[in-house]
Amino acid sequence: MSDHYQVPEMPAQENLSFKLNGETITRAAASAETLLDILRESGQITSARAGCRVGRCGACQVLLDGRAVPSCLVMAWQLPGHHVETVEGLGEDPDFLSVRDALASESALQCGYCTPGFAVSLVAGLRQHRQGSPVDLAESVAGNLCRCTGYGGLRRAIDQLSASCCPDEAVGRGPSLSEEPL
Amino acid sequence: MNNLVTERLAVRVMRPESPRQAVSFAKRFRAPYIAGGTWLQPACERDRQWPVQLVALNPDWPGFLGVQETDGGLIIGALTTLDELARHPLTSVYLPPLVGLLNRVAGPGVRNLGTVGGNLLAGGDLSALALALDAEVDVLAGKGTGGRPLVQWCLDRAAGDLLRSVTLPDCRDWRFFVEKLGYRERFSPTRATVACVHNGQQLRLAVCGEGGAGRLVVTEAMLRDQGVRELGDLATVIDSELEALGWQCTQLRLAVCRMLEFGLAEVSLEA
Amino acid sequence: MTLDGDWVRNATSRMDLTPRIEGRLAYTTDQRHLPGLLHGAILRSAHAHARITGVDISRAREMPGVHAVVSAADVPGPNRFGIVIRDQPVFCDERVRYEGDSIAAVAADTPEQALAALDVIEVGYQPLPVVSDAALAEQQVALHNSHEEHGGSNLLARETLERGDLEDAFSRCTVIVEHHYQTPRQMHAFMETEGGVAIPDDNGGVLFRVGCQSGHRDAEQLADILGLAHDQVTVESTATGGAFGGKDELTVQPAAGLLALKTGRPVMIHLDRFESCRTGIKRHPVTVKMTTGCDAAGRLLAHKVEAVLDTGAYASLGPAVLENYLDHATAPLYRIEAYRVSGRLVYTNNGVCGAFRGFGGNQATFAVESQLDALAGKLGMEPSAFRQINLRSPGDAGSRDQTVRWTAPPAEVLAAAVASPLWRCHDAGTGRWLTGTGMAMGAQGNGLGDGLPDSGGGRISLSPAGHICVEFGFSDYGQNIVESIIQSVCNGVGCRETDVEVALGNSRGPDSGPTSASRSSVLVHGVLARILPGWMNLVRGHAAGLSGHPEDRLVFGPGGLYFNDHQVLSYRELAASVNLDELSASASQDFPVAPDAEQPVGRYLQLQIATVARVAVDRLTGRVRVTDLHHVTAAGRVIYPPGYLGQIEGAAVMGQGMALTEDMTTRDGCYLADNLDQYLIPTFHDAPVQRVDVLDSTPEDDPFPIRGVGELGIEAVAPAITAAIEMATGVRIRRLPVDPGDLLVGMAAQEQAL
Repeated sequence: MSDHYQVPEMPAQENLSFKLNGETITRAAASAETLLDILRESGQITSARAGCRVGRCGACQVLLDGRAVPSCLVMAWQLPGHHVETVEGLGEDPDFLSVRDALASESALQCGYCTPGFAVSLVAGLRQHRQGSPVDLAESVAGNLCRCTGYGGLRRAIDQLSASCCPDEAVGRGPSLSEEPL
Repeated sequence: MNNLVTERLAVRVMRPESPRQAVSFAKRFRAPYIAGGTWLQPACERDRQWPVQLVALNPDWPGFLGVQETDGGLIIGALTTLDELARHPLTSVYLPPLVGLLNRVAGPGVRNLGTVGGNLLAGGDLSALALALDAEVDVLAGKGTGGRPLVQWCLDRAAGDLLRSVTLPDCRDWRFFVEKLGYRERFSPTRATVACVHNGQQLRLAVCGEGGAGRLVVTEAMLRDQGVRELGDLATVIDSELEALGWQCTQLRLAVCRMLEFGLAEVSLEA
Repeated sequence: MTLDGDWVRNATSRMDLTPRIEGRLAYTTDQRHLPGLLHGAILRSAHAHARITGVDISRAREMPGVHAVVSAADVPGPNRFGIVIRDQPVFCDERVRYEGDSIAAVAADTPEQALAALDVIEVGYQPLPVVSDAALAEQQVALHNSHEEHGGSNLLARETLERGDLEDAFSRCTVIVEHHYQTPRQMHAFMETEGGVAIPDDNGGVLFRVGCQSGHRDAEQLADILGLAHDQVTVESTATGGAFGGKDELTVQPAAGLLALKTGRPVMIHLDRFESCRTGIKRHPVTVKMTTGCDAAGRLLAHKVEAVLDTGAYASLGPAVLENYLDHATAPLYRIEAYRVSGRLVYTNNGVCGAFRGFGGNQATFAVESQLDALAGKLGMEPSAFRQINLRSPGDAGSRDQTVRWTAPPAEVLAAAVASPLWRCHDAGTGRWLTGTGMAMGAQGNGLGDGLPDSGGGRISLSPAGHICVEFGFSDYGQNIVESIIQSVCNGVGCRETDVEVALGNSRGPDSGPTSASRSSVLVHGVLARILPGWMNLVRGHAAGLSGHPEDRLVFGPGGLYFNDHQVLSYRELAASVNLDELSASASQDFPVAPDAEQPVGRYLQLQIATVARVAVDRLTGRVRVTDLHHVTAAGRVIYPPGYLGQIEGAAVMGQGMALTEDMTTRDGCYLADNLDQYLIPTFHDAPVQRVDVLDSTPEDDPFPIRGVGELGIEAVAPAITAAIEMATGVRIRRLPVDPGDLLVGMAAQEQAL
């Protein structure tokens, strides 16, 4: 039975059509090419960056239909019909602007290479919160690595964002150093 | 035959129209299935060797996506992402400790891509809990469809078997302990994940991680026959059963024993 | 004085960090838009140690998309590089000494084509015995056979620091402790892996934009390798995604430069993480035996150290790391009557080790501080009381009899640490999580160290757009140096932050020396102190001529010069009115070293830190969580609070990684981890809550009130964590990273003993 199915010609290249920051992109790509490479090859997107290519550092994080994903683990064949957002396209997004201001005011970055990835993860967290999901913003950055800061500024930025955006949610594990212990 | 591997850009992705066609493609081309791709891609990147063909699975196929409450229990579609599972309202009703565990499975970005089926197939963190719950799997294979116990399928799985869904019993009143030991707090490879489940009458224990996934049937039998006995004795039984399962590292076995003892005490407490 | 939120936010509000957040900062690996760009890839050794019997690149040349293939025969100059000793081949042709060694490189239209071409380069290998154990390396086949340089042995360097009569001092000790310590081969794990572009110019020269730490030194080495005159090579070290010492050596530059010259087109090489792990330098693993004794009152009398450092296949900065290790092993914070501190630096086939934040110092401090705790324990004293007895006073000479400039009395640093609220946390003796608090101290000198030429310069001018333009040769890899310079200029001139433009890291600009050894801040302050007064006079004089106001009544302010509180000239108007070369000034200075020692000891400007750590240990598994780190620092004046805080916090979490999870272990010379899914650095949820308190009693007129804090935070973290673990569990761990299994077994033994 099963052997009677016709196997369609499957070129390794395929024509893609997906939305990038609101604009429709149509181009050819190898089926298994990573979204990260597709974004960077254009030269237009620099905010998604290769850090590990195995989905473990978050430096290439982008929004796929509003959810933060490592773009090195998304393949071309998975893109058609979906919407990809990078920080290049979030300039007017109110959630991004709050994230940007919190990161800047708390100096939550040093070399900055990982920072757009953190911003994307935090924007995704804030959006989920808007949609009514319980959100712990600290959990939203659990897949982003930063080697410079020791996460101190990020912790302060997340505290700031949580206080203004989701004051009811529990955050972090409570700063035992900022209060006199029992 | 010597062309079974290739480079990333030459990979052909087949898009079958139905689950049955997917099984057919997988068998004919000896091609792996791909859903989230979060296990496959890192392994292929590391070796710079890719399968010549991949068979793409489609979450729109009936029964492959979502969480459903039925008389027989909770049915979880294999292509449900780990994030969808964590956020599903039924998860916190049936499996309250799972949400906390899922925070420690991969990172949030990977959980948006990775699927329940992928995690189970790779012996990931969900395996211990699914084994302890006596989960059943709905598997499509060349000769037909059928439900069977996960524990059995783990042993006699054939290439080309396609997992549609996993069914958990109605476990709303059960008591659970499930915990992951990693190298760090988040996004860590699993050293060991343990699950203890008490359904009111019976204790079930399972592990997954560095030594492999499995039910601790010998320990369970001992607990059934003799109740929770002297802890020293219990530790010896667990330790030798873990060793028999393939857990070689004595220090890690000690940690797993202690986690299980702790879990047993938690789930055995009278409500 | 706690570095807290308001202080940080006030300072950041005046800096523009948005380009980094929005991903608009151009990193060296972002330059995909260059016209005609080719992609390069490097063939690495298939063995940790082998003789090469042949390299055939002919098939690679014929591969699709390939423009050039280069190997050893294509290197016009010396086929060698290295900061201290040029012993590392650009391309190996006789022998490979580690699995990251380069053999050939390809430039092609796409990265995939370049990789495909590497696959068809044929290399013949004759495997050699692998030298994998540093302790035995000196008895094994020599990796480098030149007798002149290494005496035909794997012993690259040995050094001993001595003071007093050690045998006599030991004979008078009441308590002696002897322990072995081991620290890991930590990886820098910067987020941007090594990479960048080499761009040929029209005159046979090359411009490099590659992540690096020392543009001038790199330009010199590259010119030699490429067979070019020094002025034909330019290095622009634009924004770099982290370095921490790991980009101090040349990385992709030689291969990219050769390919660019050969093809006449820009060539980008960007290592992926797998290749970065395999080839990049690491922290030196150290095994050491320390024997330390004190009298009944707790006074340290005798201290003996025998250390072995594994430098891997090539020297890199190994000899300097050894020297810094030994300096820190003399316990610079404490008075010890007699010591003999000796170390051996050996070649092995275990990768390559080199510069890494802390630079050997933190490895030594881990062992020294652990020894102090062991002695205190034997005497039944509080560890802090034991330290109190032995700490140096501000007037004392340093551990090597050199003059030392502290920025606060060590006793005050200790007292502040003892006052930490973490000591008052309640420790539960039962339950699943065992908690404990511990502390350690550390000292660290600024500057390159003993006997190395160390100087740096800078330049100030007006840009045509009316910015006060400040140039230094340092690289910006995320250490907040730009913000610190802006702040210093604003403080010195009286302008506002937006008036200042900082240009860094151009090898055609001023040579400031390497961006390492916590030296930049000291030099920036020193150079600005020299050039600002004269430059401001120059500008005022010119402005007086233009405006007709008396020179001595003109005042620098936001946006321009003021007379009687009214702006009379903007910086832009000034810039438009003059030949800009006339309004520039530059200066350089030697890095300050102890002035009176017989031979220069580079530990003149000393910093201190005390770190108090609080941990929770899982009784079930031995897993350790660091919940809090409280640092007390004495490192001079705080110029830019977010930078100071961020450097301490960042270094501390890096030190925590070294203490708990990070180690690039090897088997037969090959690394067992090759990416960030196997080499595990701390995540947000591993990072503790931190607090940084600053002590500073540097006098107002001190010539060196600003110190560099890039490395200080890592100094005392590991021993503070292991002290806290001991407090929680009764088990002292002396091998890093802490193995939870070992800890669990130790804890189980303690339970049995109860």
